[in-house]
Amino acid sequence: MTRNRSIILAPAVALGSYSLLLFHAFSSLGEFGSYRKNVVRQMVRVGVDSLPIVALAAAFSGAVTTVQTAYQLVSPFIPKSIIGAIVVPSMILELGAVVTGFILAGRVGARIAAELGTMRVTEQIDALEAMGLNSIGYLIVPRVIAGVVMFPVLYIAASFIGIAGGLFVGHAGGFVPAGEFIDGAREFFQPFDPVFGLIKSFVFGFIITSISCFKGYNTLGGAEGVGLATTQAAVISCVYILIADLALAATLL
Amino acid sequence: MIRVENLYKSFDGRPVLTDVSLEIPEGHTMAIIGRSGSGKSVLMKHVIGLLRPDRGRVTVDGVDIGRIPYGELRQVRRQFGVLFQGGALFDSMDSFENVAFPLRTFTSMTDVEIRREVEDCLAMVDLSGVGPKMPADLSGGMRKRVALARAVALRPRYIIYDEPTSGLDPETSNTIDVLIRDLAERLSVTSIVVTHDMHSVLSIADRAAFIFEGRMHWVGTIDEMHASTDETLRAFVKANEYQIGMPHAPDLP
Amino acid sequence: MKHSNELKVGLSIITAAIIFILGVRFFEDLPLFETTYTLETEFDNAAGLIAGNVVRVNGVGVGSIDDVYINPENNRVRVRFHVDREVPVRQGSHTVVSGFDALGVVRMDVVLGSADSAKVPVGGFIPSREQADLLGSLSEKAPVLIDRMDGALAQLTSVLETTRSMLDDPDGDARQALASMRGSVGTLDAMLRAERDRISSILEEVDGITSGLNRAMGPDGDSLAATVANMNAVMARLDQTLLTLDATASGVNELLDKVNRGEGTIGLLVNDPGLYHRTDSLLGSLDALLVDFRANPGRYLKEMRLVDLF
Ligand SMILES: Nc1ncnc2c1ncn2[C@@H]1O[C@H](COP(=O)(O)OP(=O)(O)OP(=O)(O)O)[C@@H](O)[C@H]1O
Ligand SMILES: [Mg+2]
Repeated sequence: MTRNRSIILAPAVALGSYSLLLFHAFSSLGEFGSYRKNVVRQMVRVGVDSLPIVALAAAFSGAVTTVQTAYQLVSPFIPKSIIGAIVVPSMILELGAVVTGFILAGRVGARIAAELGTMRVTEQIDALEAMGLNSIGYLIVPRVIAGVVMFPVLYIAASFIGIAGGLFVGHAGGFVPAGEFIDGAREFFQPFDPVFGLIKSFVFGFIITSISCFKGYNTLGGAEGVGLATTQAAVISCVYILIADLALAATLL
Repeated sequence: MIRVENLYKSFDGRPVLTDVSLEIPEGHTMAIIGRSGSGKSVLMKHVIGLLRPDRGRVTVDGVDIGRIPYGELRQVRRQFGVLFQGGALFDSMDSFENVAFPLRTFTSMTDVEIRREVEDCLAMVDLSGVGPKMPADLSGGMRKRVALARAVALRPRYIIYDEPTSGLDPETSNTIDVLIRDLAERLSVTSIVVTHDMHSVLSIADRAAFIFEGRMHWVGTIDEMHASTDETLRAFVKANEYQIGMPHAPDLP
Repeated sequence: MKHSNELKVGLSIITAAIIFILGVRFFEDLPLFETTYTLETEFDNAAGLIAGNVVRVNGVGVGSIDDVYINPENNRVRVRFHVDREVPVRQGSHTVVSGFDALGVVRMDVVLGSADSAKVPVGGFIPSREQADLLGSLSEKAPVLIDRMDGALAQLTSVLETTRSMLDDPDGDARQALASMRGSVGTLDAMLRAERDRISSILEEVDGITSGLNRAMGPDGDSLAATVANMNAVMARLDQTLLTLDATASGVNELLDKVNRGEGTIGLLVNDPGLYHRTDSLLGSLDALLVDFRANPGRYLKEMRLVDLF
């Protein structure tokens, strides 16, 4: 292992070891039985425990989108129901998945990286290996599965709560009556939108958990290494969420 | 039988072990001594395949564990119990679960059997009743003893102890020494004990290996060690003796 | 009460799945639990109707469009839609596309048949009646109209220009011809003044319509259709007016042809300064109208433009 990798090769090496790690992890799916308890525990941590913060952020993004859309619609020619027609697809197509993604990159990504990083530097990963366990499978598979299963759940919660927040603020704030809001949303509703949102959240869940596992699992050094891995996991997850967001929109829309 | 042949290992171009050969016959207890940073822990990690040799090889029962597929390596590792220098307890589980972990993972024992077994193991290391405590709530010495209980829970054929008594008071050290000797004799376990503690070496080991400047400087029985005229070895042994200041230090010539 | 992890995870996944399915159905305007009452209709021109648009009966939203596609058998637009179960769509009902594609608010109205005929079965067919895309035809027609008006006025100017040059020629023998023209020009003058008033009154009307349009965009967008129909009629009238203007100009042209061919006495005109001045002032007023119109057509057309903006 040489430290002086060329700048050009470094990303390729990183991508390679990332892919190998995931390959290694998922080639041990045969032992899924022994991970089952872990999967459920990770699902609680990734999904259920993240619900409050995701709900809070979603409610506010829905509300803010409503208020700002109302603010931008000054023309008397445009019906108020357009607010619903803008807020609901925004929430379903973009905000529901991306806001959840950013929050979970911080909350779940950093946590996974810190957890695995600490396990690495305190030799807990070595201990798992020494027992004859596949530490990569044991640690990474449940987290990634929890990510791809629970992330869509959080996305649905975020979209629902965000739309409800927008509806409520629009109605209570006098921007648009609830009925018109819903009429507008229905008028422009595309059934593919929520499917696309689900696909996005699925991809984001994979990105966040797999990148964080990669960063955490390969932590070097002590507490400082754990800190570095944690920060990198959150930041890189966010960057790749944005890239994937664009790539998905470009390919699927 | 564990055999290390002409092991060479370097990190980032800095050699740690340059030429280490060692043979531990079935049922024997080998003490590995050497100054801090001399590569004892690195050697021990080679024996269970956590590190791969740059040159040379490590065989367990004739199998070169640096060259077998990962699946087979894991089978070999299951015959080992390893006590890591820092304990490497899983800090997400309490002490009981730590000891129970290998039993749950690799045996089909019922919960009742596991409970009995874990309690036996904890009693063996003088820690009955700490089961519900989390590793973070234990003292360093207690942590090491829980880790020891975990290492022996599956009654492995080989046990590697990385500094089992460092940081323990003399009385507990004695308990541990007796335990190690007991396991070796009763279950005819083959053991490797990495240690600084000459008292341990004298009371448990059949043979000792002295690593110095990356090489296997001296290997022999305890009697031979007493008789040795090797200046470096004598200096190490003497320094250790003074440093520890044992009241009942054996008479060295 | 301690819930196991499995329970928490299972419940959240089930809840999410239910929210997803019900939410999609809700926004698709499908009844959340019942099955749907699907019907079909066909148009020559769907006028921008797409899946998801509202279906209304007497202005009440009762369902939405499921699918719009070209029927390969007859190349017409086949539309599948659903309405609430309670809506009594009976034989003799028909569908109409309404709203404005340009505004993005297209919907389909179902005009119910008489209450004593049989109900259309699920999946049944309802015929449609076409309704022109009012706003579309309006904004298409306006520039044509303006061009025509411009052309007529330009023609008039050139005709009068010729007249003036002829009158400026002292040797010309246009006197007699102009005598016969005297009456005609008087009429033309009066007529043009009258027409100008009418044009401006038309434009005032357009102004009124626009504010009506403005109101129509509010809560009850229904009157919008009526307003635009109204406006269309106004434009037709404006068209009429300009045709008259055109005819008038041709009349003058004809007259001057006669003068050119030497019919009548030009001396008549020379000895009649009153007629000369009258013609001159007529020319001036025409010119002024034309120049103003050309310089800022917006003043005359700004209302139409507002409509165009959408
Ligand atoms: N993963 C690693 N990467 C880089 N260097 C390492 C790594 N592991 C060990 N080393 C280096 O190898 C040398 C030997 O380390 P090792 O842990 O084997 O010492 P030790 O003999 O066990 O000492 P101690 O008695 O203090 O535990 C040290 O200089 C250490 O820096
Ligand atoms: Mg060490």
